[in-house]
Amino acid sequence: MNQTVHIPNICEFMNRHLVDVFDTMLSIKAGVAPDKAMPMFDERITGCVAFAGEHVNGTIYLHLAAPFATQVAAAMLGLSASDLGDTEVNDVVGEVTNMLTGGLKSWLCDCGSECAVSTPAIIRGSAFTIEPVPDVERAWLLFDCNQSRVAVEIHVRIG
Amino acid sequence: MAIKILSVDDSRTIRLIVGRAFKSYDVTVIEAGNGEEGLAVAAREKPELIILDVTMPVMDGVTMLTRLKADPELKGIPVIMLTAESGRENVLQIARLGVRDYLVKPFKEEQIIEKASRCVTLEKRAVTAA
Repeated sequence: MNQTVHIPNICEFMNRHLVDVFDTMLSIKAGVAPDKAMPMFDERITGCVAFAGEHVNGTIYLHLAAPFATQVAAAMLGLSASDLGDTEVNDVVGEVTNMLTGGLKSWLCDCGSECAVSTPAIIRGSAFTIEPVPDVERAWLLFDCNQSRVAVEIHVRIG
Repeated sequence: MAIKILSVDDSRTIRLIVGRAFKSYDVTVIEAGNGEEGLAVAAREKPELIILDVTMPVMDGVTMLTRLKADPELKGIPVIMLTAESGRENVLQIARLGVRDYLVKPFKEEQIIEKASRCVTLEKRAVTAA
């Protein structure tokens, strides 16, 4: 299968894939948000995984509110939230971001755009923004799950 | 005697999930955090099965698998690759290296058991009275 890779079809894939990852790994139902209201995080945990190839490269950022990230980690590890420290929560957020980007990598490869992915990194903080470098397109995807809003930020350079 | 399964993954989360999947079976899950550690643990413990991640720091799963298959003492150990990447090329590359099976993330614990039971005989752990 060879198909042209554009931001809209990357977003379309990621909308489906996040719902699948959350359902399969966390048994958490996620839905594409009906509005474009950006989440306001008091404290945020962001997972990031980069992908790079000859025709496409970029980074996927998964932004979660800290309390929801703890819920996600508890769901994935089958533990109580009170048993979890920052290390466990970071590891789970990194792994979920890795699954999201790994799925995108597979989709890109099947579209004819081979690429490799990095190992995950975590950013924790309450007031930060991530600015794309020149020539990089950015898209935001928003999801609602368990009364929390989840944001996926996609930075991609095609061609 | 419990069979040994080696889980090689840089993510503690995934190692925990693998360990949890085999909790009700007569299995001892041993762990390594990258391919280099994985080779050392495999040589020392001689596990009956290895569940191996692809993308890891220090030494990735493909390199570990290549070295494992080149070692006369370890090459017979069946390997299930665990990968977040399901693309056709990726799967073909893994298949060429001689893995027994592969599992794409996200996955359910039942899928690990199903794949593992095609490689080794899994027996339910005896329930002991409290």
